Amino acid sequence: MIEAFTDVFPSFFGTLNRGPMTLTIFLHTLIVLPMFFIYFSEKKKIERGEPDE
Amino acid sequence: MEERPTSVWSSTRFWRKSAGWVTGVSALLLIWLSVDTVAQISMGTDEDMQAKKPMRIFPSTVINHKVTYEYDAKRGHEVPVIGEKEAFFGRSDYSPEEADALLRHGKLTVQAKNCMSCHTLLGNGGYFAPDLTKAWLDPAWSESGPYMAMTGTATREEAMAKFMMHPSTYPTHARRMPELGITEDEAKAIVAFLKHMASIDTNGFPRNFAKMNGGVNAK
Amino acid sequence: MLSKHSEVKWESQKLAINYFRVAIILFLANLLFGLLAAIQYMYPNFLFEIIDFSVNRTLHINALVVWLLYAMIGSVYWLLPEETGIETVGIGIGKLLFYVLTGAIAVVVLVILIVQVGAGNETTIWFINEGREYLEAPRWADIGIVVVVLGFLANVFLTAFKGTRTGILTVLMFDLLALAGLYLAGMFFTKNIAMDQFWWWWVVHLWVEATWEVYVAAVVGWGLIKTIGANRKIVEMWIWIELAMLFGSGILGLGHHYFWIGTPEYWWEIGALFSALEPVPLVGMFVHVIYDWGKQAGKKHGVSNKPAFAWFVVNTFGNFLGAGVWGFMHTLPQINIYTHGTQWTPAHGHLAFYGAYAAILIGMMYIAVQGKYGLKEMRFTAAGKWGITLLTLGVLGMTMALTIAGYQQSMIERAEFGATWQGYFAAQNSRWMLQAMGWRLAMGVVTMLGFVLLFKDLLTIGPRLKAEEAAGVTANSGAASTIAEPAQA
Repeated sequence: MIEAFTDVFPSFFGTLNRGPMTLTIFLHTLIVLPMFFIYFSEKKKIERGEPDE
Repeated sequence: MEERPTSVWSSTRFWRKSAGWVTGVSALLLIWLSVDTVAQISMGTDEDMQAKKPMRIFPSTVINHKVTYEYDAKRGHEVPVIGEKEAFFGRSDYSPEEADALLRHGKLTVQAKNCMSCHTLLGNGGYFAPDLTKAWLDPAWSESGPYMAMTGTATREEAMAKFMMHPSTYPTHARRMPELGITEDEAKAIVAFLKHMASIDTNGFPRNFAKMNGGVNAK
Repeated sequence: MLSKHSEVKWESQKLAINYFRVAIILFLANLLFGLLAAIQYMYPNFLFEIIDFSVNRTLHINALVVWLLYAMIGSVYWLLPEETGIETVGIGIGKLLFYVLTGAIAVVVLVILIVQVGAGNETTIWFINEGREYLEAPRWADIGIVVVVLGFLANVFLTAFKGTRTGILTVLMFDLLALAGLYLAGMFFTKNIAMDQFWWWWVVHLWVEATWEVYVAAVVGWGLIKTIGANRKIVEMWIWIELAMLFGSGILGLGHHYFWIGTPEYWWEIGALFSALEPVPLVGMFVHVIYDWGKQAGKKHGVSNKPAFAWFVVNTFGNFLGAGVWGFMHTLPQINIYTHGTQWTPAHGHLAFYGAYAAILIGMMYIAVQGKYGLKEMRFTAAGKWGITLLTLGVLGMTMALTIAGYQQSMIERAEFGATWQGYFAAQNSRWMLQAMGWRLAMGVVTMLGFVLLFKDLLTIGPRLKAEEAAGVTANSGAASTIAEPAQA
């Protein structure tokens, strides 16, 4: 499942690229995960009845 | 606004914050990736090339060497291979300074003549004329191809230079290359640029190129 | 659009009309040089060594970029006073910059058309031609463009801070700043072609697949409020959603240009999987427009500017189809290794630029005509209907023809011949390629006919509808509503 490293230079991203979609999953996680935090903090504000904007 | 959202999904503030986050982190990731990539695509040095260190972009002095394009089983595609010394316009001892100056002049001329508007370089540009990415290795310019005989030259580099100085003298197809006023010095420099470009590791683009007759062990 | 008659009260909007006037002339140049280049595909001796293909193509693509930028700046100057409620700050400088920019563009076009190429040295790069696709404008003009854009940005920012800063304006300010800053990434020389292409894509991709798309999202939103009275709060929420999705997919989607230019292998996965998401926000925009339309139609709220709204619909659909579907078709590296650098790219490019950018900006021109003549309601004329129909059919036809040409080229040149010189000409001379190029030329002529009708309509629709309105021909004018006065009928 983990493929041999084939690229010319080793690098952090090149290493992540060896697993099945691990590079994409890493990048997407970095982008999407904190949105859960934003979601729940906004949810709390709405429950407290704070107006939007 | 007086209206109160009943759900986070219809809250403008939630989406504005999310948009800010997504944009910011994507931009930072791109900068991180670019720093990594720029280091990898910076031109190598002559000493490193002589020491056979791995390289994506070879130094200008690659013109002193034979360049081939060979299938690499580990990478699963063709890669440029730098071989023994080989004469380029009769010399194989271009110093790094001379080679840099030649490549720089070649690249400037490629831009000044707007080559990219008809040809593609690394696959980018116009589609009115052949891709130049691996043109240096192309069988058309080898002994088995038509251009050496047509231009009355004995080497690939001379054939290329002579052709581009007076392209309409050597029409091969209905679609011709126009006279662009390329001087002899400029033509030599462009050929150096083409040889250098052929040595770039393009991750196997274009595919199958090395399998074509004469494309590998050019000259 | 030509007459002196004007009911525009803002100087900013008068300046916008000037920007639109130059834009439409450059649009004509865009199509004209495209036609010449298309003829050269069929008849290579046509204008050979007079105006070569390379010159035609350079002018074709640069006129496109510049007319879109003109219309984009014009649209912002148009909507700015309506959003902020105040006259644009620094309008005098804005007008001066308009003449400076137009003069500079005229010089650049003439130099590229007449001088064409130069010797291989820095002087050529600075004064004749920079020779990098889309960024051919010489360096002096680059610097001029940066100065003009900075002036424009200053006007937008100062006006927004002084007047009401709406959500739409906030997005536009942020986006225009990024758009202008990115241009700087294209202003340097390197002998390393891989490095050259790496930063070149920062400009080209991050313009057309990120910042320009966000611009369109914001302007379509504004246009929906203007033409069908969409709810501003919902529109602004949508714009933020679209911005998140466009930048979320588009910024790292840049990776799909880094498959084969000497850059590391890890870009295969990044480019493929982020750019595969790029169509998602485009679907979102389409749904947004149609949803709002249906919602407002339910309320019997009239469309106050039918031609503009029709162009918005063409925009969302064309954007989704041209940029989204046609882009996705060749974005995966497994496919792209065969399609990169073939007629696939112009197939995608023609429909994407038309759908994503030309259509929305033509819609904005109709809104400007409506404002200039103070028309309550703008309906379609025959010329307007035929214009939008022929332009759309023409571009779709060219796209189909070029798609077939792209298939031929990737199969014959790339798959069969391994991308050699011989393979290139084998593909170019194949009968199916020639047929496709014939259809492309024919459809280019159809596009040009559409343009002629559009041009006529933009010039004449204002005075004509104004006269009709004055004569009370539009008997149902009571039912036609403006945004400020919702219809009660």
